[in-house]
Amino acid sequence: MRGEGSTEVGGLRRGAQPAYAGPIFTHLRCAGGRENAAPSFDLKRSVEQLLQHCLNALILGGTYALLGIGLTLIFGIMRVVNFTHGELYSFGAYAMYMWVMVSGVNFFVALPLAILLGVLLGAAIEFLLLRRLRGADIDTTMLVMIGAWIALQNIEQLSWSGVAKSIDSPFPASPLVLGPVSVSWNRLFVFVVALALIAATYALINRTKLGKAMRATFQDRETAALMGVQINSIYTATFALGSGLAAAAGALLGPVFVVYPTMGDLASLKAFAIVILGGLGSIPGATIGGFILAFMEELGAGYVSSGYRDAMGFLLIIIILLVKPTGLFAQKERIG
Amino acid sequence: MASRPFKTMLAALGATLLAGAAAAQEPIKIGVTQPLTGAFAASGNYVAQGAKIAEEEINKAGGVLGRKIQLIVEDNKSNPTEAVATAEKLIVKDKVPVMMGAWSSTLTLAVMPKLEEYKVPMLVETSSSGKITVSGNPYIFRISPTSEMEAKAFTPLFKKLGIKKADFLSTNNDFGLGAAKEFSEAAKREGVTVGVMETMDPKATDFSAQLAKIKASGSDTLFVTTAVEQITLLLKQAKDQQLIARIITTGGSNSPDQLIAQAGAAANGSYHLVFFTPWFPEAVKNPDIAKKFVALWNEKKYNVGGLTEGFRGWDGIHTIVAAIKAAGKAEPAAIQQALWGVKVQGINGDIAFIKQGPAGKESAQNVPSVYLVKIEGGKVTRQ
Amino acid sequence: MRLVTLAWLAFLFSIPLWMSDLYVLHVLIMTGIFIIAAMSLNLLLGYTGQLSLGHVAFFGIGAYVSSLASLGFEAHLLPGVLVKMEPKPVWLGMLCAVTIAGLCGWVIGRISFKVRGAYFVIVTVSFAEVIRLVALNWVELTQGPMALNNIPALRLGTPELFELSFLRKPANYYLVLVVAVLSYILIRRLVQSRAGRAMIALRENEPLATSVGVDVTKYLVLATMVSAAMAGAAGAIYAHYVRIVDPDVFLFIYTVTMVIMVVTGGKGTLAGPVVGGLIFGLLPEILRAAEIKPEVQWVIYGVLMVLVVYFLPEGIVPAVRNWRRRHHEPATAAAPPASIEPAR
Repeated sequence: MRGEGSTEVGGLRRGAQPAYAGPIFTHLRCAGGRENAAPSFDLKRSVEQLLQHCLNALILGGTYALLGIGLTLIFGIMRVVNFTHGELYSFGAYAMYMWVMVSGVNFFVALPLAILLGVLLGAAIEFLLLRRLRGADIDTTMLVMIGAWIALQNIEQLSWSGVAKSIDSPFPASPLVLGPVSVSWNRLFVFVVALALIAATYALINRTKLGKAMRATFQDRETAALMGVQINSIYTATFALGSGLAAAAGALLGPVFVVYPTMGDLASLKAFAIVILGGLGSIPGATIGGFILAFMEELGAGYVSSGYRDAMGFLLIIIILLVKPTGLFAQKERIG
Repeated sequence: MASRPFKTMLAALGATLLAGAAAAQEPIKIGVTQPLTGAFAASGNYVAQGAKIAEEEINKAGGVLGRKIQLIVEDNKSNPTEAVATAEKLIVKDKVPVMMGAWSSTLTLAVMPKLEEYKVPMLVETSSSGKITVSGNPYIFRISPTSEMEAKAFTPLFKKLGIKKADFLSTNNDFGLGAAKEFSEAAKREGVTVGVMETMDPKATDFSAQLAKIKASGSDTLFVTTAVEQITLLLKQAKDQQLIARIITTGGSNSPDQLIAQAGAAANGSYHLVFFTPWFPEAVKNPDIAKKFVALWNEKKYNVGGLTEGFRGWDGIHTIVAAIKAAGKAEPAAIQQALWGVKVQGINGDIAFIKQGPAGKESAQNVPSVYLVKIEGGKVTRQ
Repeated sequence: MRLVTLAWLAFLFSIPLWMSDLYVLHVLIMTGIFIIAAMSLNLLLGYTGQLSLGHVAFFGIGAYVSSLASLGFEAHLLPGVLVKMEPKPVWLGMLCAVTIAGLCGWVIGRISFKVRGAYFVIVTVSFAEVIRLVALNWVELTQGPMALNNIPALRLGTPELFELSFLRKPANYYLVLVVAVLSYILIRRLVQSRAGRAMIALRENEPLATSVGVDVTKYLVLATMVSAAMAGAAGAIYAHYVRIVDPDVFLFIYTVTMVIMVVTGGKGTLAGPVVGGLIFGLLPEILRAAEIKPEVQWVIYGVLMVLVVYFLPEGIVPAVRNWRRRHHEPATAAAPPASIEPAR
């Protein structure tokens, strides 16, 4: 093995004729660890596995919460079902790719720049597309958002091609080891920044004048307008903020995974699940909903079937809507 | 009602379709269906680039039968239904007499009934599932190794590498499941314990749950079968979770240089089964051809990571052109006949076909070379 | 009007006789299948006013049910419960597809009309996504990402006596055309009936309709069921024509395509989905002939969708009708008013 000579392995070349003669291969019997799934039960390893799953879920939950808060803000205040949310997510990731990999900007400078671009794109979408539809019914705005989603996604595909891109991150390759479990520095960074952004959003909504105006608009648009709230600016700010949070999630996760044009589709759908779970328009609901979804996915993938990982969220939506249609933490009655 | 827009549209459609006719010395068209977007986009693009190099090279040397060749490359979007649509378009609309494709086994299997329907031969450059050549489709000519061949070639290494217990993680399609089946059976025959057999969706990007499970199984080796995009992520995530098992990737779509570039230190220590070793071209069967191909690839400034994939396109187009030359005409039946007799010096080795599958309807299978390499210290090393 | 319709039908039926280019027929067949699906969506979206964004689920269920019935299968329904089915004739599979898709429509209708507006939309999207993930992961039954392949083509009659095989394109073209015409007639009948008027009343003013005794749930469930069954039929025809089905048939983008067809053509009009379907079925091929990349084509779709909502909110068919009415007032004055399609 160690020696030099041919790198060729095996004796295939020596006229070895593979022995196929038998019946036509029909079906390959199923995937997944059915055979030898659990050779021997090892308590220590099992506990370690559970801890690792929980850590993974916690880290993932942070970005899910970011996505959910962005979407729920836009829905709660503007009554817009935002189908471009996932596109803002992938836009954030591509912005990160552009800054770090194409322009060579420092990673930590690129991150706020990418989020800023997301904020600007969000503001542009609101200004160009939604402002004209003030007062239109929810279905009409939904159609416009679907149109915008398709156009944006394909512009991304045109600009960056369909090949997945990866982004270099400046974090050490060896993970942070915490006893039996470990987590990469990059994911830890994602988690910390996500928590910081969530805290900042809470502060913005609850402590600032803009947040006060947003809350007033959320409760009663007409009255807020009468009290001198500039509804148009509040809407633009809301959409920009929500979009910025989605772009932040994308910019944070881009370097952890890969960046590709349709990456936003699943993100959109998951954000819907999170928002429904927490109740449309509820920020604490979306935060908790994000973590619940992450735990369900990770534990479901670990102990039920990794293939159904992404189905967890949708099953959750359907169950919640049948049992408690207002979501777990709704502040207002549902729209109907 | 809708009469006017419909008529205009139909007229426009008819006119554009008719416009392409005539011209005396038309080039010979070769249809290529590859995943240029979607889950296997990187690999599909490399194969298409390798094929383009062959096209340019052949046309510079005067083409074949006094005519130039023209590749018509269609994107099957890594999706089987789209693959069928591209085959339909290439055969019915472009009227290509021969095709190359379709990268993944699932995509190739999807296209196969169309080949039978229209009686057009297809050269299979990447797919590894055993099903392809045993289903009785006489229009299939495969130059890539089957998973069974790979597993057979690998068999002596179970002992040499000291593998005691192995886990399998493969993409949930014909390519991945086929390889997991062949390698796990080979492992059992060698007395190796098979641990967990996990799968992942071809589009998945987060494998943390699977990895936590694999880590808990405590095996010394993890066999991975998927394309380079998922391998890159997997190596990184395995490192994050401190997976100590040695990772061996099968299927030859691992582009080790790309892994080094994108996964960095996480790629160190991993083993890869490849079908071309551009790092040591002198080790292959036809070193001159290999060196020439590497030079042309670099001249085009293509990604160096794509060499291990791009050679497939080059070998494939050269094999097809050799068959067209032998057939003396660019017609499907003649090319199909001629492919059986070709002897081509390829980058992987000498290409010639043996019969496989039910008698009377055999498919053609080449017996290619398989190599194992290891990434150490950010470099590909010989094993 | 009647004469024009007949002339149109005669023209459509004559196409395979003089059109020798198989690729054109292929495009027309695919367009026809999508028109049937769009017509079925229109029943829900246009006549009851419910924006169902999971419609592709019914199309896909039809495709999978019919394929599985005609291929036969063996799968564990629950651990230990093995269900086995021998291959059935294709026409029976198609019948199963229509029935099961209709049943799914009934269930979804019963469940999801409890919630309206944004919730309804998200429930329907989730439903389609869950079905896609099941198709992807229940490998034993559906072959997952490996797709169901070698699906047999439709055959009617017996080989001994007289057999009609739908392997070739002209036969498939006629099949699609006949089913499309039948679906059109069915929808026309339905919306002109008492049930149809009730649906439109619900769309226009639900509280008012309820107060005069219209049973909301009953009519909405009826509409969903018919709509789902029709989409299932379209899916079954699709499966036996392209002869391969994979889980991507459930992708959201296909629902979006149907929605674009309906909205552009004119939701709540009989001709709307046909016009929209023709435009968006043939447009990709025209753009392809003009060497425009598919991404650009989708960008155009997206922009067009936004523009239609802004400038032709009712769609092309009502817009053309209004334009005609304005310009040919005297000529069409005698024609009966379009009572079945009240202005929105």
